[in-house]
Amino acid sequence: MKRIQGILFVVTLMVLLGCGGSSPETVTSAERTYPYKVICSIAMVADMVSQVAGEHADVVGLMGEGVDPHLYKPTRDDVNMLLQADMIFYVGLMLEGRMADSFMKVSRSGIRVFPVTESIDETFLLEPEGFEGHWDPHVWTDVAAWSQCIAVVEQALSEYDPANAADYAANAAAYRAQLAEVHEYVQKVVSTIPENQRYLITAHDAFGYFERAYGVQVKAAQGMSTESEAGVADINELVDFMVANKIPALFVETSVGDQNLKAVLEGAASKGQTVKIGGELFSDAMGAPGTYRGTYIGMVDHNATTITNALGGEAPESGFQGKLTKEEH
Amino acid sequence: MIPWRLIIFCLGFWFLGLGFAHAAESHLLPSSADIWRVVSLQDYNTRIVFIGTALFGAVGGMVGTFLLLRKRSLMSDTISHATLPGIGIAFIVGELFLGYGKSLPWLMFGAAVTGLAGMGMVLAIRKLSKIKDDAALAIVLSVFFGFGIALVTMVQQMPTGNAAGLEGFIYGKAASMTVSDGWLIFSAALVAGLVCYFFYKEFKVLCFDASFAASQGWPVLLLDVALLVLITVVTVIGLQAVGLLLVVAMMIIPPAAARFWTERLDRTLLIAMGIGFISGLLGVFISALYPRLPAGAIIVLVAAALFFLSMVLGGARGMWFRYHEHHELSRRVRRQHLLRSIYEWLEVHGKRTDLLDDEFTLDDIRQYRTWTPGELEGGLQRALQHGFLGEDHPGRYHLTGKGARDALRVVRNHRLWELFLIQYADIAPGRVDRDADAVEHILEPDILQELEELLEDEDTRKRIPLSPHRLNGAVHGGAA
Amino acid sequence: MSSSDTTDHPLTIRDLNVAYRRKVVLWDATADFPAGKLAAIVGPNGAGKSTLIKAAMDLIPSVSGSVSFWGKTYQNMRHRVAYVPQRESVDWDFPVNAREVVAMGLYRKVGWFRPVRKAQREQAQAALERVGLGDFGDRQISQLSGGQQQRVFLARALVQQADLYLMDEPFASVDAATEQAIVQVLHDLKEQGKSVVCVHHDLDTIRDFFDHALLLNMRVVAQGDIDTVMTRENLAIAYGGKHHLLDRVAREIREEELQR
Repeated sequence: MKRIQGILFVVTLMVLLGCGGSSPETVTSAERTYPYKVICSIAMVADMVSQVAGEHADVVGLMGEGVDPHLYKPTRDDVNMLLQADMIFYVGLMLEGRMADSFMKVSRSGIRVFPVTESIDETFLLEPEGFEGHWDPHVWTDVAAWSQCIAVVEQALSEYDPANAADYAANAAAYRAQLAEVHEYVQKVVSTIPENQRYLITAHDAFGYFERAYGVQVKAAQGMSTESEAGVADINELVDFMVANKIPALFVETSVGDQNLKAVLEGAASKGQTVKIGGELFSDAMGAPGTYRGTYIGMVDHNATTITNALGGEAPESGFQGKLTKEEH
Repeated sequence: MIPWRLIIFCLGFWFLGLGFAHAAESHLLPSSADIWRVVSLQDYNTRIVFIGTALFGAVGGMVGTFLLLRKRSLMSDTISHATLPGIGIAFIVGELFLGYGKSLPWLMFGAAVTGLAGMGMVLAIRKLSKIKDDAALAIVLSVFFGFGIALVTMVQQMPTGNAAGLEGFIYGKAASMTVSDGWLIFSAALVAGLVCYFFYKEFKVLCFDASFAASQGWPVLLLDVALLVLITVVTVIGLQAVGLLLVVAMMIIPPAAARFWTERLDRTLLIAMGIGFISGLLGVFISALYPRLPAGAIIVLVAAALFFLSMVLGGARGMWFRYHEHHELSRRVRRQHLLRSIYEWLEVHGKRTDLLDDEFTLDDIRQYRTWTPGELEGGLQRALQHGFLGEDHPGRYHLTGKGARDALRVVRNHRLWELFLIQYADIAPGRVDRDADAVEHILEPDILQELEELLEDEDTRKRIPLSPHRLNGAVHGGAA
Repeated sequence: MSSSDTTDHPLTIRDLNVAYRRKVVLWDATADFPAGKLAAIVGPNGAGKSTLIKAAMDLIPSVSGSVSFWGKTYQNMRHRVAYVPQRESVDWDFPVNAREVVAMGLYRKVGWFRPVRKAQREQAQAALERVGLGDFGDRQISQLSGGQQQRVFLARALVQQADLYLMDEPFASVDAATEQAIVQVLHDLKEQGKSVVCVHHDLDTIRDFFDHALLLNMRVVAQGDIDTVMTRENLAIAYGGKHHLLDRVAREIREEELQR
């Protein structure tokens, strides 16, 4: 009896997976219904894909506002949703620690799955100290690097839907141009920070690419992934660093606990260094959907403006395009 | 007497030293300036974390002692796991309705509530159903923890969820302690300490003999609940220090280690507190000396190391002590056998004027027991060394004053016991000698006194009764 | 039995029923233990002997029935009752010494939150001396022999200076010296006019130690003066002929009857 049940289960599974898997292959562009469904792991990827796909695709981000991709565990609903997608994009480089398995499984059933960081040249990637053999996945903190990822999306969409390839190429070019402008803006405002104050202290190590691209030294309480816990030595070291360099502010992240930073704040205060919380940064997640900070550009704008102003630089309160408003946040 | 324990200690430290020297060469060891900086608590954060974890260690060892003696060790594991849903619920309720879900006291309050609910459920299952204790504990533990994990996953999907750092409560996040956390731990520790101080006598009788306590009118259930509430409070303050998975270790390991050092409750408490305190202290020091070492796990590892040290070297019931005690006893037994054989030979062959004058040889004694040659030789040499025997002419020995005194005592015990067995236990005289052999070395003074009274022979009080059976090598009785 | 006035009976039990889960272990037990007597509760294994005294002290819940001590509830008369539990009921590996265990008998008098003082320690020492363990006060309890442990429990009851002593198998597997010490204590108690109720399992010795008996096998088979209770018929009812000692005891009884 058990055996029969087992066989039945396997057969059902195969049928289910088979249906889900074979359909994108067999559907020709003529039969395709629009908009087709694209699922993205984090909101930054979703934003990029919807910019490129325009109205042709329905783009959904799996992890919402304030969610930490390192720790995110997929629910059953998530897996079901993935199985119904026509295409899936994620960051890769082991950012989505616990989701990676789900992507692998889904890709085996025939759904196209793309890591957007695929196109970035390996020499361009950072290999953080102490994590040799692993790339730093937080590519989006460098706008220029993130812009390179557009190519993967553009190519994948064109292959899947050749009929609208021209649209995708145009959208991609427009988005690239937009991002180039943002990149320039960030470079410009960050350079207004006095040179001896260009330090970015955060809860976890997410701003490695920001450091390289915009010339701000970065230090964090926790390692690259939020899964590792900070030790007493890490906190002490950070306190020493802040005191030694007379750093006036540190930054909380929306998707990471602020307890370590509060301990650092107290530690620095005990040594006569007043440190303030410079503001909240979006590191691994963006702001609420539908708001300006809920877009990639808005998020970068917010981060750059917040950092610059807290560290004594000069950036317009309303940001890059004058869209940063206080209430929204 | 060779101070073996000291030697082992020294050897241990020497090896440790070698290890450190090796580590220093390969730059694994922090510089002495770094060590001094940590040990002298120069850093504010080291200070705070040290106070928090060491206080937690001490108070954990204190309440853990009662828990261990009440045989409820697993209860604390269940309580600590049952705190997780409380943390989740407190956060969700706090975020949605009160606007301060992240505040630590509020989360701890939630943790305490479900911790107590879990405890209550275990007590209820135990009382109302046929399910056994261990099953009840396992059921509550897994159900509450599973529910907690589900809630934490839900929290993760809330916009502000990750900023709460709820996962930190599972593994602990000692390093991020702030001064307000320190005060929280301090006040909880103070309350726990006062309760244990005032309830010392009550907890003692509860843990030792609950049904007697109940017959005396102590409210046993209430005392049990008070103890478990105390456990919950300490668990909750331990969540931040070592995390809920390891809290149980800090409650059970220190008292279990302390039991190797003492047979008294007050000292068990103090030693357990000391071990907990030192574990917290060393754990923080090590975590402060090396990067990327979370303090919680290190604290528990230090406690475990202290446990093994206690198990081996503990002065009351450690392995070394027991081995030594056993060794001493068997040595004494061999010596007493030798002395008794000598006496019995002298009793038959000696001139009986003065025990000290008569000489004997090795061969004289050999016939009395089934010695191996080495045993007899070794025993004789040791007895010579320790001054029980003298050797005026080579190969010819005599008893010293000390040896004679011991021989008399041993023989007397032996014969008394033999007589008792014959008269009261229906044992054939031929078999008596062997039974008495085993027991003569461990007769307590009170039993001896009873024996004398039982046998009620005027003479036996003063001198040595005659052997009730034939002694080897002679027709017995003539000399008396 | 005439018990119109139960106030001078240290322990009176009326229609007591006790059940563990659904299994009834004591049916309608009715018993009177007279003042100033050494009373034994005897019966085969599983007869509910220990259950009877535990239920009397509310240590286990009873289904129905009433228990009175000198006509009042146990709660009111607790200070006049001392309890000696079975030796196996505790873990002797506990980190206390003999004197501390004896002092536990005084905790109630000491009261909440107060520590044990020198006067109480001296009382405990005196009780230890009464049971012949004067030199063992500082000994850790796991290093005492079984008989000595039993005597420690006895001393803990003695220190309470109660009027009624409830003992659960104090003679179970003890050495001769302990047996003698307990017998001596029982005699002393009787002389002082105290009452003793003692669960006992050894039919051979019961006549030597006690003068009143309750024969029990889930129901009360017989009670009263030791000689009227320990008859062949009663024992046959209580032990159902299964007990291997029965024949021997019955023979002894017959012999005694013949001698008379």
